[in-house]
Amino acid sequence: MSRLTRSFAFRWALGIALWSTLLSLMLFAFVYWQTAAFMQDELNQVLRHEVRYAARDPGQAANRIETWISEDLHSVHFAGLFGPDGKKLAGNLDARPANLSLDGEVRRIGTEVAIAGRRLHEDLWSAAVALGDGTVVVVAHDTDEIDRAKSTVIRALGLALVPTLAFSILGGVLLAGRAKRRLASTEAAVARVMRGDLRQRLPVGDAGDEFDRLARDVNGMLDEIERLMDEVRSVGDAVAHDLRTPLTRLRLRLERGRDQARDIGELREAVDQGLVWIDQTLEMVTAVLRIGEIEHGRRCAAFGPVDLGLVVSEAAELFEPLAEDKGIDLEATVDAGVPAIEGDRSLIFEAISNLLDNAIKFTPAGGSVRLGLDRRDGDGDAVISVEDTGPGIVAGERDQVFKRFYRAERARQTQGNGLGLGLVAAIAKLHGFSLTVGDGRAGGCRFEMECPVADRRSTITE
Amino acid sequence: MAKLLLIEDDAATAEEILADLRGRGHAVDWAATGPEGAARARTGSWDAIVLDRMLPGLDGLTVLRDLRGGGDRTPALVLSALGDVDERIRGLRAGGDDYLGKPFVLAELAARIEALLRRPTDSRETVLRVGTLELDLLAGTGRRGVRDLDLLPRELKLLEYLMRRPGQVVTRAMMFEEVWNYRFAPKSNLIDVHVGRLRKKLEVDGEPILIHNVRGEGFTLTPDV
Repeated sequence: MSRLTRSFAFRWALGIALWSTLLSLMLFAFVYWQTAAFMQDELNQVLRHEVRYAARDPGQAANRIETWISEDLHSVHFAGLFGPDGKKLAGNLDARPANLSLDGEVRRIGTEVAIAGRRLHEDLWSAAVALGDGTVVVVAHDTDEIDRAKSTVIRALGLALVPTLAFSILGGVLLAGRAKRRLASTEAAVARVMRGDLRQRLPVGDAGDEFDRLARDVNGMLDEIERLMDEVRSVGDAVAHDLRTPLTRLRLRLERGRDQARDIGELREAVDQGLVWIDQTLEMVTAVLRIGEIEHGRRCAAFGPVDLGLVVSEAAELFEPLAEDKGIDLEATVDAGVPAIEGDRSLIFEAISNLLDNAIKFTPAGGSVRLGLDRRDGDGDAVISVEDTGPGIVAGERDQVFKRFYRAERARQTQGNGLGLGLVAAIAKLHGFSLTVGDGRAGGCRFEMECPVADRRSTITE
Repeated sequence: MAKLLLIEDDAATAEEILADLRGRGHAVDWAATGPEGAARARTGSWDAIVLDRMLPGLDGLTVLRDLRGGGDRTPALVLSALGDVDERIRGLRAGGDDYLGKPFVLAELAARIEALLRRPTDSRETVLRVGTLELDLLAGTGRRGVRDLDLLPRELKLLEYLMRRPGQVVTRAMMFEEVWNYRFAPKSNLIDVHVGRLRKKLEVDGEPILIHNVRGEGFTLTPDV
């Protein structure tokens, strides 16, 4: 029972029934009140009119009340003309009702009347007026008619209430039951997800209502969670794998150094080699941590206005000697009309550096690397591009390159840990930049980082 | 020889740092906890303090903040396993003069301590001289003896940085931070290439070497006379 009362469906059914019953009751009360008031008002007007009509001409008063009485087929009209001494002069009322003010207003009084030869106590709606000679004219109407009409209305309304209540409850139960069935299937799916089956999805109907939209959103969330879980799993595997290789090498090298070194020089050589490998390993661990740190958005303290033109020029200047040493032509073009954006200049510089470092690494001597900053369609978002004449990235691998530890087939021969572009992607995501890779114009590949420009009018003046 | 205080809770790390710094001729004392370190820092007279960010008992930044609050301006270097930029900013705001993220190379730590110890050089000087080398910062010109040097703006800054620290080992990371003003470990041999270019302009036709490569540590500029 407690489960039933806690049930969403049950409470909805009850709530809907109660609410519609309450509304019906209010409607009934209004109809009753309006009907009764209308009937009473009509009668009052008739009585007021009749008593005044009778009083207007005292000589004709007796005639007029006789007419009032004779118009009546159901013995509900009463009237009387009484002398100053209270003696009945005409009409079918035996005595002047006591306590009836002579102001012509309609009041409810109880009195004895004779109907079809029997004396009965009746409640009457009555009005009385005194004539100039001290006689009093009384016009009255039985209350039964209105009372009956009132009780009829009440009975009818009461009878109607029963089916209203029944249909309300039925409707509530049906609606709630439908919601409950949809909930039950959703609940079952969620339970399976909670037991660890992340591939489970909520049923989505084709009605497109709020329920379906919610289910779709939850499914989207589950997609993202599943993707992240997969990524965490694969990153964990990759880290472990990438750690084991250098650690194994290190162990072997140290072991051999200890056993076979003939002098301190050879031992030192073994240790030096070991240190290089440890540094590479630490570099990888640091990179993984940095990517995590950046992805968690914990690095916003250093955010401020960044002059992209300056950052791009400085990056080009930093890499120019390296490119020249490798026989690569590094050229930077900067559009001066790019406004400052909000970001971490050191991180943006690092992202550009990683892209440049890659481009120079993969471009053979005699090739060229182009670094550019311009605006999409002349005045749109800022675009930082790095284009090389290296081997390029085949279309199938382009989505993969930004993933941690991914190293393209053609990159396996060069030194690296597969984290450089992962870091660039994390930095881009932190800043809300979109990062894409495509074909370069002269072979090779072209990386583009598109930076939304908030205020399109303010340009750098310094 | 300088008197240094190391506040570091990990005994193995502390032992390596102590051995290295003592090997370089410094007198180093070690405190393993925050409260102990705070007490030693206040009572002793130190040339520089190296302290870990996270210490048992009392947080490293709190120790530093209390010290600075008491008017103590002893140069301090903050070590931390929390390497991110926000942490670094917090460390510097608490009164640290430099910040080094773990893991680090001992030579990097030693070079940075050396830089802290020698810090107060007159930065208003506009003409620097080291041996026969002369740099006019206002005119943006350099000379070695009578020979004019044709230096690019960045080379000028790099040379200024080295000339303000003659005989002192500076690491690649320190140069990248101070000359380029960016903060992360630069890849490949970027800095070496820049130093190499500068050397080609400074040392021509068998002139005595000015900039020396200190293996595993960094570079140092030594006077030629």
